Amino acid sequence: MSTIIDVRNLTKRYGELVAVDHVSYQICQGEIFGLLGHNGAGKTTTIMMLVGLIAPTEGTAEVAGYDIKKEPLEARSSIGLLPENAGYYDNLTAKQNLKYYADLARVPQKIAEKRIDDLLDLVGLKNWKDTDVGKYSRGMKQRLGIAQSLIRDPKILIFDEPTMGIDPEGTKAIRELMKDLSKVQSKTVILCTHLLHEARQLCDRVAIMRWGKLIALDTIPNLAKKVNASEEATLEDIFLRFYEVM
Amino acid sequence: MPGLTTVAKKEFLDHISSRKFLLIFGTLLIVVLVSALQGAQTQQGEGAPPTFLSLSQTLTLLRQMVTNISLVGGILAIALSFDAINREKTIGSLKILLSYPIHRDAVINGKFLGGLAVMVLVAITTFMVGIGAFVGVTGIPITVDSALRLITFLGMSIVYLTLFLGIGLLLSIMLSEPSTSLLGSVIVWLTSTSLLPNIGWAIASSVYPPRLTEFSEASGQKFSTFGPPPEFDQLNSIISGISPSYSFETAANSILQTSKLEFGGFGPPVEVTISLEQALMTALPYIVYLIAILVTIFSVCYVRFMREEIR
Repeated sequence: MSTIIDVRNLTKRYGELVAVDHVSYQICQGEIFGLLGHNGAGKTTTIMMLVGLIAPTEGTAEVAGYDIKKEPLEARSSIGLLPENAGYYDNLTAKQNLKYYADLARVPQKIAEKRIDDLLDLVGLKNWKDTDVGKYSRGMKQRLGIAQSLIRDPKILIFDEPTMGIDPEGTKAIRELMKDLSKVQSKTVILCTHLLHEARQLCDRVAIMRWGKLIALDTIPNLAKKVNASEEATLEDIFLRFYEVM
Repeated sequence: MPGLTTVAKKEFLDHISSRKFLLIFGTLLIVVLVSALQGAQTQQGEGAPPTFLSLSQTLTLLRQMVTNISLVGGILAIALSFDAINREKTIGSLKILLSYPIHRDAVINGKFLGGLAVMVLVAITTFMVGIGAFVGVTGIPITVDSALRLITFLGMSIVYLTLFLGIGLLLSIMLSEPSTSLLGSVIVWLTSTSLLPNIGWAIASSVYPPRLTEFSEASGQKFSTFGPPPEFDQLNSIISGISPSYSFETAANSILQTSKLEFGGFGPPVEVTISLEQALMTALPYIVYLIAILVTIFSVCYVRFMREEIR
């Protein structure tokens, strides 16, 4: 598989605090890549640097062959982002929200209309497409967020806690969708999650971050071997072992 | 610039369909309509010449309209912009917006342009209603001179309204909570419309209190008047002139004043015409000041927003 994201020495400092500390890794096309760590580990800062919302203090990254510092627009055009606590325009309907984002991404009118309908169907919001988003529940907004991240048909999807606030049925559907995006459509998915069982279920490889540093990166079976965990060990056990060791 | 028109169009449509806009704009239209009709009634009540108020002075009757645009227009502009950026941060939509392949300045420029378009719409509609009612009631024909003065007044009103739009936008970038930026914007508005002019008057009064001034006519006749000395006006103008509202009102009233009455000794007052050129020369420093503040505020907005890290 070819490399689609190449992170090189990516660093972010806020004064004395090092939020992300010389992190380097590669992510392959079609892979589901888990980014794990405690609160403040640097996961969100890392993805915010990848999409150009935060400027790196040191290092850089290439996204779909574009340098995030030198060609930020081109790099961003390959990414669909669903941030944590994403919000939408309450005075607009789901369809109008998606139309706005399609216009920003310069998706041609006809393609956009069909894609909006298809995506709303995919995330189960077809019957509420003309309802103001202000009337949506948190779970419905999260589903809209998934549709938003797919509106420009990106090569890379970054999901920050995508199943947060979603009922079990919706959670299952989103996980199936992530698998489909990766395995059928060859899209790369970066998954930031606190739900370790979710990461175990979905991710091809996981990176574990602690206080800004990358402390482990591998497939889950290989990580288990590194900390001498049994094959039955949960990712939670593995995760905690790494935190103890490092 | 990718995204600029999309953001500007959304801002414009959001504004004109919002309840707060309709409420304040409706209020502005009503007060402008009432003040224009009051001005028209004053003109009719004065009757035909000979009176001190000649037809050429009728534009000064729109003075109340100037005050209303200054007060209510300022509030409207603030209401549209005080949460332009921090609300997007609070609800979490700014992260999504800026993750799209658009330049960051497309967002700030788009928001500003969308607001500017609304201000142009507000100013033109207000003028059409106000001037239309005034001319409709008085039946006074609009001459080329008065049309030019009104167009200049319209342009100044747009600059003034956009200035307050910029103040709201700046505070929405600098302050994280919409409630705080609303409070800040209202404080700036109050300072501009009321506090600074009052401070200017108070300081000028204490430095140059009213006094008895004697002057003599060419015939040798001596007169004395009691009132503030000429220095009072100068100092008052300098201090109050810091206020955009005072500058706007002074400039607008200068533009709308087509003549003035000059009293000389015991003779009757003489009406002296003020040409548009002369009026512009008087208003120019204030107009330049308003434009300079507007450019400065927008530049600060731009730099702050471009450097900001969205977390």
